[in-house]
Amino acid sequence: MGKLLVFLLVLAGSASLDPAYVLLYAQQPPPQQQDEFIPIDQLPPQDQLPAAPMLVAAYSFVVLALFAYLLSVARRLTSVQRELERLEGDVKRGGSA
Amino acid sequence: MFATAPILIASAPYESTMGLVQKIFYVHLPSAWMFLLGAIICGIASVRYLFKGDPRQDRLAWAAAELVVLFGAITLITGPLWARKAWGVWWQWDVRLTASLMGWMVAVAYLLLRKYGGPGSDKLAAGLALFGMANVPFVYISVNYWRTIHPTTNVVPTLPTSFGVPLWFSAGTFLLLFILLLRLRVRLEEQRARVDALYLSMDA
Repeated sequence: MGKLLVFLLVLAGSASLDPAYVLLYAQQPPPQQQDEFIPIDQLPPQDQLPAAPMLVAAYSFVVLALFAYLLSVARRLTSVQRELERLEGDVKRGGSA
Repeated sequence: MFATAPILIASAPYESTMGLVQKIFYVHLPSAWMFLLGAIICGIASVRYLFKGDPRQDRLAWAAAELVVLFGAITLITGPLWARKAWGVWWQWDVRLTASLMGWMVAVAYLLLRKYGGPGSDKLAAGLALFGMANVPFVYISVNYWRTIHPTTNVVPTLPTSFGVPLWFSAGTFLLLFILLLRLRVRLEEQRARVDALYLSMDA
């Protein structure tokens, strides 16, 4: 495992020092600088953060969390109730014997 | 109420700057209130348990601590989902958010202590619940005293009716749900106490 990690690190290091890689990186144009205010509705679609997935995620989490908790309490309650009935039965049988 | 609340929320108007994502408000704020209410109930019941030794108060505190974790998780998940769109960040280490996270972690610690702490952990956990309760006013008023991007407590009293009605309806629904879950959870602890008493009587 350790040897594999060292091998991968060496491979990554040698790739980053490769002259072709360095040349390619140097040839990339610098990101275009923004010099004026752009209203949010004029941003390209990939830069706009949609609201609907956030809203759906929030409401889904609320419903799932509440439902899961209710289910968990109901299951625990049923299990304890069953144990209680069994014990009460044992006590009654022990008392009558 | 559970059926009407979503209809009211859906028909509430869009807020002018945040738009659709502001509707998270109708679950975020009521769950935050239940989170703080749970911490207060847990704290008061723990104080009464420490001074009077009444096991019913201990059961109530344990049940409330679980609800603090539940409603705290809802608050701490829905908040960042709203913040990412409204503020541009998921999280900010400001006083309210940090204090809320701390309060939630105290409740988690309480539950872990009760589950794995062994004998005597009930008193220790009750002491921990006091810290959780002491944190509540700090969470509430912190936004009014420290500079933060979280809205202050003045927002709710100044809400127009079109936003206020769905909020209060949703808060009422959350409160009913809180009471229902608290009663169920207390009942579970009562049944467990009966089981323990039966085991003890069989051993004796």
